[in-house]
Amino acid sequence: MSVRQSTPRWAVGVGLACAALVVAGCSSATESSGSGSDEPGKDTPAVGFITVGPKDDFGYNQAVYEGSQAVEDAFPDLEVMLAENVPEDDSAATTMQRMIDDGAKLIFATSYGHLDAALKVAEENPDVVVVQQGNTITTDIPENSGTYFGTVYEPMYLAGIAAGAATESDKLGYVYAFPIPQTIANINAFERGAQSVNPDVETITVSTSSWCDPGKQQAAAESLLAEGVDVLTQHQDCTSTVIQAAEKAGAMTVGYHADASELAPEGWLTGAVWDWGPVYTDIVQTVVDGDFVGSGYNDNFRVGYKTGTNPFVLAPYGPGVSEETIAAIEDAQAWLGTEEGSPFAGPVLDQDGEVEIEEGVIPTYAENDAMDFFVQGVVGNLAQ
Amino acid sequence: MSAEAKVADAEVRTVPVVARVVPVIARWVGALSVALVLFSVLLLLKGANPITAYTGIWETTFLRSRPLQEIFVQMTPLVLGALAVAVPARAGLTNVGGEGQIIMGGVGACGASLFLGDTASGGVILGAMIVCAMLAGALWAGLAAAMRLVAGVNEAISTLLLNFVALDLLLFLIYQPWRESPTGQPATKELVDVAKLPVISGTQVNMGLVLAIGLAVVVFVVLTRTKWGFKISVAGGNAEAARRSGLNVPVLILSALLIGGALAGLAGMIQFAGVEYKLRASFGYQLGYTSFLACWLARHQPFPILVAAFVFAALSVSSDSLQLDAGVPAASIHVLTALILIAVLGFTAQRKKATA
Repeated sequence: MSVRQSTPRWAVGVGLACAALVVAGCSSATESSGSGSDEPGKDTPAVGFITVGPKDDFGYNQAVYEGSQAVEDAFPDLEVMLAENVPEDDSAATTMQRMIDDGAKLIFATSYGHLDAALKVAEENPDVVVVQQGNTITTDIPENSGTYFGTVYEPMYLAGIAAGAATESDKLGYVYAFPIPQTIANINAFERGAQSVNPDVETITVSTSSWCDPGKQQAAAESLLAEGVDVLTQHQDCTSTVIQAAEKAGAMTVGYHADASELAPEGWLTGAVWDWGPVYTDIVQTVVDGDFVGSGYNDNFRVGYKTGTNPFVLAPYGPGVSEETIAAIEDAQAWLGTEEGSPFAGPVLDQDGEVEIEEGVIPTYAENDAMDFFVQGVVGNLAQ
Repeated sequence: MSAEAKVADAEVRTVPVVARVVPVIARWVGALSVALVLFSVLLLLKGANPITAYTGIWETTFLRSRPLQEIFVQMTPLVLGALAVAVPARAGLTNVGGEGQIIMGGVGACGASLFLGDTASGGVILGAMIVCAMLAGALWAGLAAAMRLVAGVNEAISTLLLNFVALDLLLFLIYQPWRESPTGQPATKELVDVAKLPVISGTQVNMGLVLAIGLAVVVFVVLTRTKWGFKISVAGGNAEAARRSGLNVPVLILSALLIGGALAGLAGMIQFAGVEYKLRASFGYQLGYTSFLACWLARHQPFPILVAAFVFAALSVSSDSLQLDAGVPAASIHVLTALILIAVLGFTAQRKKATA
């Protein structure tokens, strides 16, 4: 209360300053939206990457960072900009616009929730290519935009084989963020991979509603371990918390996004990890050449074992994986690359025992990208 | 108001505007400079050149139209969120619940827009969103006020804990009844175009800024020039003395917290209808806590709150430049924020001595 009497001093000064700034803001508000172009992004001098988390998270964002390094190595003349910790909201558009103002004509918006902002920036900058990693554009795809991703559920199926063979309690634990199709497919593939070598196995799921919240991850991991789970895996951007919790409890781990075997020397089995370099480099080359419009990347681009260029690869095996299991995984990987191979080769039953995919049906990558049910053997509520 | 204060007040009114403004600006510039010098040391340790870093921030954040406008967009909810701390603080209450009240404001606004659907006109939806958001925010703060009045629960604890309940409620709504699509990331469907907050002509800054600055003036007038403002400051200063002089302290406490909650709810509405257009799991993330800091930085005074909110918004927008121009980690902006907080609070403490 004692400073009340001095308030009016502030009042005038601050009011004036704010008024001046508002006027300044208004008067300089002429945005230059570049003229349309048939070859958006051609000969771009710079490439921008935005990530939702830090570049050293033992996970999703670290994989993006390593991919951006590969681009830097492949194109020494290109300036590579990277902004970390960019939230999945409208402020992402400001960060992307800033990179564009600095000369970037190609932007990689790398988190699932960056799509709205990416499409907004693409619309405002027709001469710039904005590609988004992992989401799917369900409306008409603009000429200067697209999404790209790998079929992560394929290596997760293989990792499920390792988990199903290693578990003694027949209970696997899965910590995930949001029930989006990509995650649902991962969980289902993991369970089905495990079932292929161990019919009694079940996968218990816990959602954290966040891509990276170590507090919630710790709580989720502990509750799963208390349920008797002895193999933990996850769909989180930052992976170290869950892996360390498993290792501390003497449980086993299947990694995700990046090779974190150094965090769990005892319990590491394997994992699905990224190798983004080749895909990023190819996208940059396509854009620099002016060939983006109408290319495979000007679409919802998906690659997998069937196309032979899956950016997801299997991490090195840990000590708990037997020779026999490795052989089974290698056979399954070869099978996934064939016409008949799929983690979701019918029949597939959902949690209630209803047939979701008929016997003999092999769903396409696009169909898997719209998955909205848990398969039999998965424990958890999809909250729909 | 004490006799001493009245004299000081009268003195202040007679001092020319320039003489009043200059020391204020000098103090802030001084404090910010100290913080920037200290931060330079960190930058040097990180192998970055402080001069390049600061010129980078200046050129790409303050001299470019879009980032500058982004600062004004981001400061708007912070102003209202900080006022939501300042009003209860006048009554001696600590409202740490801005985070939850902002979320509830977003929920109230979104609920109103979903209820009215696509048929109502933009003005009707906007009006309904404002009313519902302020009611929802007030309700959330009111729960804490009721707990204090009925069970004697400290409002600093209850408002803080209610933040987590609000977040859970938001998650429930966006996962189930309000979810846009069962296969997308949990979020509500986008607000219809007519119900989006209009922008200040020629800019990308939404009208919320005008509302926030206007309300800062209103709060200033109410706190310093009305009976109610005087009464809550008496109740806040010494509740026992207030009771003995016939003031209804419970009503004053309840009203101060309700108004605080309503202001935070409005912040949520502006964030929803002016910026995000959707409720997502990250809706309003950290806005309440940042507002709380901004309010303390401004020592609970409405006009300094405008400056403090601008500073925090500018820091947030500058983090892009720190990463891209100076090449330091994104998290280093939090270090700069802390330094500024300490430096400015240090300087305002001196000011208090000088005017006492």
